[in-house]
This record gives sequence, C-alpha cells and structure tokens, in this order.
Amino acid sequence: MKKSLFLEAILMACALTISPIALSDLPSGERLDLSDYRGKVVVLDFWASWCVPCRRSFPWLNAMNDKYAHDGLVIIGVNLDQEPESAAEFLQEYPARFQISYDASGTLAREFNVQAMPSSFVIGRDGETVAHHLGFKVRRQADYEAAIVAALQQETSE
Amino acid sequence: MKRTAGLAAVTTLLCAGCSAMGIEPWERDILAKDEMQLTTDEIEAATDDHIYFSKEASSGGRGFGGGGCGCN
Amino acid sequence: MNRKDSRSISATLAAATCSLLGAGIPAPVDAQEEPAWDFNTSLLYYGEDDDRVKDYSVSAIARRMFVDDRFLTIGLTVDVLTGATPSGAIKQDVPQTFTRPSGDGAYTVAAGELPLDDTFKDTRAAFTVGWQQPVGETSLINIGASASREYDYTHIGLNAKFARDFNRRNTTVSAGIALSMDNLDPVGGAPTALTPMRDVGDKSNRRGDEDKDVFDIVVGVTQVLSRNLVVQANYSYSNSDGYLTDPYKVLSLVDGTTGDTLSRVPTPGVDGPSHQFLFENRPDDRTKHSLYGQAKYYMNGKVLDASYRFMTDDWEIDSHTVDLRYRIPFGADRYFEPHLRFYTQTEAEFYRLSISDSQPLPSFASADYRLGDFDAITLGMKYGWKTRDDNEMSVRVEGYRQTGSIPGSQIIGSQATRDNYPDLNAIIVQFGYRF
Repeated sequence: MKKSLFLEAILMACALTISPIALSDLPSGERLDLSDYRGKVVVLDFWASWCVPCRRSFPWLNAMNDKYAHDGLVIIGVNLDQEPESAAEFLQEYPARFQISYDASGTLAREFNVQAMPSSFVIGRDGETVAHHLGFKVRRQADYEAAIVAALQQETSE
Repeated sequence: MKRTAGLAAVTTLLCAGCSAMGIEPWERDILAKDEMQLTTDEIEAATDDHIYFSKEASSGGRGFGGGGCGCN
Repeated sequence: MNRKDSRSISATLAAATCSLLGAGIPAPVDAQEEPAWDFNTSLLYYGEDDDRVKDYSVSAIARRMFVDDRFLTIGLTVDVLTGATPSGAIKQDVPQTFTRPSGDGAYTVAAGELPLDDTFKDTRAAFTVGWQQPVGETSLINIGASASREYDYTHIGLNAKFARDFNRRNTTVSAGIALSMDNLDPVGGAPTALTPMRDVGDKSNRRGDEDKDVFDIVVGVTQVLSRNLVVQANYSYSNSDGYLTDPYKVLSLVDGTTGDTLSRVPTPGVDGPSHQFLFENRPDDRTKHSLYGQAKYYMNGKVLDASYRFMTDDWEIDSHTVDLRYRIPFGADRYFEPHLRFYTQTEAEFYRLSISDSQPLPSFASADYRLGDFDAITLGMKYGWKTRDDNEMSVRVEGYRQTGSIPGSQIIGSQATRDNYPDLNAIIVQFGYRF
C-alpha cells in the first residue's frame, strides 16, 4: 500500500512537470500540438461516451468556455472512445461548444497518466500543468473553476 | 473449517497482490455496459437467492463492489 | 418456499441491491439528463407440481440518485403463498391422519401418498431501504435496513458494506456485515422438541414464540483482468443463533424392524393423529462458511456469466453450486439469455428419514427434505427487449428439479419398497419492467 502511494506520488510529480508536447490524432488526421496554445490556458478534459460523470461535466465545460474564452481559456475535450460513432452519439445528446480531439489509442492519456475517467488537466500559459482533478463532482465545480481562474490570472514566466 | 478459512485467505491475498494486472482507466468501455456488471438485475438476483434459500440449505455468496466503468 | 424464510427476501434484496449498486453505477437510459428516479419492477410466479407450494409475488425497487453518485434505494416485495409442503412424515400403505399445526383441526392423507401439510395460506411483505455514497476518491459505503412480516414471522435487519478501489480501480476490496433479528410465532405455539403430535385441542406441549439472530460477514475482491473480463471472489461467514427448528415439521416414529409408522389411537370423542409423529429438533446454532467466485466475460457482444460457490457448515452440510448464464444479443434492442444451474448438497448430520423406536431418541432430528442429500438442476431462458420509450422489459421461464436420496443405513424394513424422497419439480415465470 505505501509502496504504490509513493509510486503514485512520483508519477504525479512527473505529470506535473512534464512538458506536454504529446500528439494525438483528429479523425481528419490533424495532430494536436499543445505548444500551439502557449500563452493560453488550456483545460484538457479526457472523456468517453460510456462515462456517466462526463455527461455532467459537459454543461459545466460549456459554461467555462462561454465565461473565460475571451480571457484566453481553451478547452479541449479529448475523447478516448474506441468507436468514433459512440463519441458522435454522445455529442448529439451533449453538444460541446469547445474543441474535441480524439485519442483512441490513448497516447495522450498515457502521457498525462490519466488515472480515472474523466480527468481534467489545467495547463498554464507557459505550458506547465498547474492543476488536475480526477472524476467530476458537481459539488466541486467552484473549486475546479477557481483553478482555472488562478491559471488565467498568472503572468507567464517568459 | 480451518482449511476453508486458510484457502480463502490465500485466495484473497493472491488476488489482492494482483496489482500489476488490469487495464487503463479509458479502456473500460465494455466493463461499463449494463450487461457486464456483476449483478445485472437486482430483482432477478434477489428472487433466485430467495427461491434457493427456501428450497436448499445454502444461501448467498455474492459480494459487493468493483468492475464497471470505474468513473469518478 | 418456506414462510419463515421471509427474512431472506429482505436480506437478499438488500444484499442484491447493494451488490448491484457497488458493481458500477448502471448507465441511465439515454436521455438529455440522468433521470432522478430509476425503477425495477417484477411479477413472479413460482409453482411446484403435485399440489405443492405456489407463490405469486410482486416486487419493486425504486432508486433515487442525488448529486455526485449518491443513491437512496427503497424496495418492497409482496408474496402470496398457497399450496402444501411435505410435513416430514413418510408415506404409508394405509391412510394417515395428522393434527393441524394450529392444533384446532385434523387432516387425512390417502394411502401411498406423501403427507403434505396444506394448512397455511400466507401473505408476506418485505421492505428494504439503503443509502449509498462515495467516500473520498476511491471508496464507497452502503448502509441499509430491512424488515418483513407474515402471519407467523417477523424480521428486522441492518446491513453495511464498504468497498475500496486500488490499482487504478482495477482491484476492489469489499467487506459487508449484516445483522438480523427474527421472531417466529408459530400457529398454535412452538412445540417442545421431539415430543409427540397430540390430539386436536391438546396444546400441552406447545410453547410461545421464539427468537433467532443471524450474523453475516462477507469479504471479497473484484479484479479487472482485461477489457473483456472481470472476476470476483468472496468469502462469507454466517452464524445463526436461536430457534432454528421448523415448528411445523415432524418425523414418523417407526417400528425398528418393519419400518412401518407406529399407529396410535386418539382420545375417544376427539380427532387426532392416527400414527405416532414426533416434532423435529435442530441445534440452536449454525455456522456456515462459503467461498464464491464469479467471472463475467464479454465476447463480441455476448456475455458469459459463470459462478461457483462452495458452502460448508457445522451441521455437516456441504454444497456446490455452478451457475451459468449466457447473454446473446439480437440487434441493438433484444437478447436471449439461457441459464443453467447445478446444485448438490450432502445431508445434515441429524437428517433422517424416520425415527426408530428400537434406538435411543436422538438429540436432534429432522426429516425436512431441504436438509437432505440431493442434486438440483435449473434450466431456463430469459428474453429481454427495449420498449419504444427506451425502457427494458424481460420475461424468463425456468424449470427447477430436485432429486434426492436417502442413505441406505437409514432405510428400515418396508421403507425400502417406497420412493421416500419428496423430489421437487417447480416452474418459475418472471416478468420484469425497468423504467
């Protein structure tokens, strides 16, 4: 038990400091390059159509997008479905006003060491991950929003 | 009786030690399906448990927790 | 179906509810929003052949979801039981008369027929309530209560379960505990053990009501082995303490050489037993250990559910259960699910076909076929479909057959000429509607 907690702590530290130059595929073949978003705050939200809490997170992600996009917030919903039709069906029920990216092979998810579904990572304007949360708890929305606001208000170190 | 308890302890320990086994959190699409839950229909399970408890000398056994989508 | 087993409806409802809830929150029906209420309802018919027990049952479980995976579950089941059950007395080549359990009447069984006691028609109601919520990031807790009532049996119980995930939620360790406090108030009063069945109106060997407490513990591990395969292993311990005897069951007192039930003459002017029968007696303590393993395996849309349970107790009963279900989908909306179950048990140490008058009276004795040595097989088919408004309906039909045997050492004289074990044949039909 202690051994795995220690291991998790190390992995967490790595995830927090790793520079997110991971790549993932869009159906059209475009690759997601996070360095394109330097200067903006990126929320990377890993979701899947079969994940029940993801249905609750989408309205909130839309609200965050509406509220902070003009401040430099970019939300990217990274879909991890094995079948793209499932993702399409989900998006019909829960439309997203933010960008959707596809990572069926799980490459980006592995880079970020996703531990549970859904997982959200807040990446600051300098490309460093500053916060993340596992799962989506409706009662913690205020905390999640506070993390985004803190990242938006941070000056870039460059 | 002691043998049963010992066997149970070993089995539990072996399974608990399977910490290297498993899948990534995003690979749980199949396990999230209704039909892949350990109990798919609680009334049917309760009905069977009751019928067999009434007509036989054994009962129960089912457990709690695990499998599924592993969300939140 | 034994009416005194009502505690198990509520307890197993609670247990089954909890095990479903813990096994992963079921994805709600496709909708813009998750519905706050979920209902699972059923109509059940259970019928044994040869004028034996028939049970009609209505069940409903309502689950309300609160924010962030908190659930309140309420369950209600109502059963109506009719029909007769073997009293424990053996067949004879002459008619036999028995005093009813109430002590207020008598009934006669024809020559060559298995004595069945049809005194009771019973209605039973069982209620369960449970609350489940996450604890921290990786744990789950569930607490519940159950209660049931029928005319001669009352049950109340409490249960609690806890589960914790490890290893990126691939491994779940769980533990549960349940306590039951039951009271049995038999019609006519509980009879003094191993005393004779008396004439109508003679209640001299009858006492009042009796209590029984049950304590259960389950610990288990669930492990995800692959994208398609999840397995679970559990150990259960159960201890029952108190009145465990069936107050309505008797044994025939037979001649040690011929094996015929000793006859008896009732008091003049009064109805009463035509032969000698003794009320059964079971120990006031029973400890059971069970090991259970289950696997669910997904193969291209089809799901195989296989489980095995081994049970052993201090009444010297050992049992093995193998349960197989195979769900085969047809299109997106329908499925068939054949079901096969094998069960075998060895007899209780104090189980016997009859009591011989040429041997000392045993401390414990029961001729209840459910404590005997038998094999059972269930064969069934379930058909399920999605309705136009995306709710689920299902129907299943099953056949259950028990065939038992009496150890040769217990068969005395003429008993060998008869088929003594009351084999059981039953049909189960259940309709389900989830919305």
